[in-house]
Amino acid sequence: MEELIERLKGEIIEVLNLEDVEPEEIDADAPLFGEGLGLDSIDALELIVLLEKNYGIKIEDPKDGKKIFFSVRSMAEYITEHKGK
Amino acid sequence: MSEIFINGIGAVTPQHTHDNARFLEHIEIYDHNNLRCVNPNFKEFIPPMELRRMSRIIRMGIASARISMKEAGVEMPDAIITGTGMGCVEDTEKFLISMIDNKELLLTPTSFIRSTHNTVGAQIALKLKCHNYNFTYVHRGFSFENVLQDAIMLIREGDAGNVLAGGIDETSDNHYSISGRLGFWKDKPVRNLDLLKERSNGTIAGEGSVFAMLSNVKGEKDYGRLTDIDTFISPESHLYTKQRIENFLGQSNLNPGDIDLVILGYSGDIRYDEVFDTIRNSLFSGIPAAYFKHLCGEYYTSSSFAFWLAAQILEKQFIPAVVKLDDLNPNGINNVLIYNHFMEHHHTLMLLSK
Repeated sequence: MEELIERLKGEIIEVLNLEDVEPEEIDADAPLFGEGLGLDSIDALELIVLLEKNYGIKIEDPKDGKKIFFSVRSMAEYITEHKGK
Repeated sequence: MSEIFINGIGAVTPQHTHDNARFLEHIEIYDHNNLRCVNPNFKEFIPPMELRRMSRIIRMGIASARISMKEAGVEMPDAIITGTGMGCVEDTEKFLISMIDNKELLLTPTSFIRSTHNTVGAQIALKLKCHNYNFTYVHRGFSFENVLQDAIMLIREGDAGNVLAGGIDETSDNHYSISGRLGFWKDKPVRNLDLLKERSNGTIAGEGSVFAMLSNVKGEKDYGRLTDIDTFISPESHLYTKQRIENFLGQSNLNPGDIDLVILGYSGDIRYDEVFDTIRNSLFSGIPAAYFKHLCGEYYTSSSFAFWLAAQILEKQFIPAVVKLDDLNPNGINNVLIYNHFMEHHHTLMLLSK
């Protein structure tokens, strides 16, 4: 899980072009949206594409997004749970 | 009729032009044919979290717009008008390549959102929370001139007092490669300062962003006035062009002899430069002449670089040696004429006066 979290941090920095953010600066449990990294709805779309492109996971119900993308850890847990399904 | 004063100007170009305190003191030399901008520290103009979604052209546009606004002391323009030949090429390419790579699936939104031609004007308005007139002209080699024409009409008809007007284009490797196949660029790398020494087809590619704050009231900075503008397509002969220039000057009650400096759009392409020789020899013999495309390269809105150059020369009353075509020195610089054309198709005239 910790390995996946670190990998996800790097991927988030890359797809969202967070030029000044280092992976160690991202708290795996902090909210991604609003506070924390302060991401917005366009970032959410980028993260949905990231999940599908890099992990083959498609989010069927948009309502799940809020829970899945709450933090890096919640994303990692969702990936672990759904990868290969 | 209202005068059009240039109260502030900002430029991000392949030269060190973003600091108005310096005027072509250090010249950037390129030994390849695709010139890119010398960037300022964009973080001084745009917060990092906003910067991350902006491609180069948006950064260039916002930075140069803010420089011109700060200089003019204007926080909210009555109109924002931008001109671009190619728009946000890098983001457009990114989006299209992503479509091909992913078989039209899994498309990320950011590059698509930022790929439209009016993105720069829109981003400037968003940052300023400006709900006023906002327009983008996309008309190849006339794009920047159309902006100025619109600004002149808005100010003279009393619809606007302060107009933020800019011309902007970016180059990319793909754009350079595709337009190269159309014969735009020189086959072999050319040192930019030797552009006119190379007697061959093609020119060098470039890019840049120039924004000016145009106003109906004279500001603290004295970059002169935008007096008049003219555009014409594919003239039938050099004689027609000569007469067109004479008529253009006549509308401002000027003769060619009243011009203190003529800035010509020599691109180093022997197919298209002849008209500049003809005009220089027939109308402006004995009058100081300058050129500029060796500093910024050729692009659809390259005349915006000439506009910046003319405004700086009028303000500083000094012609840098690097742009001179001769050793002539005017006693004072009051009237500057810019004559440019893009690939001998889109011809433009701009008159700036003290």
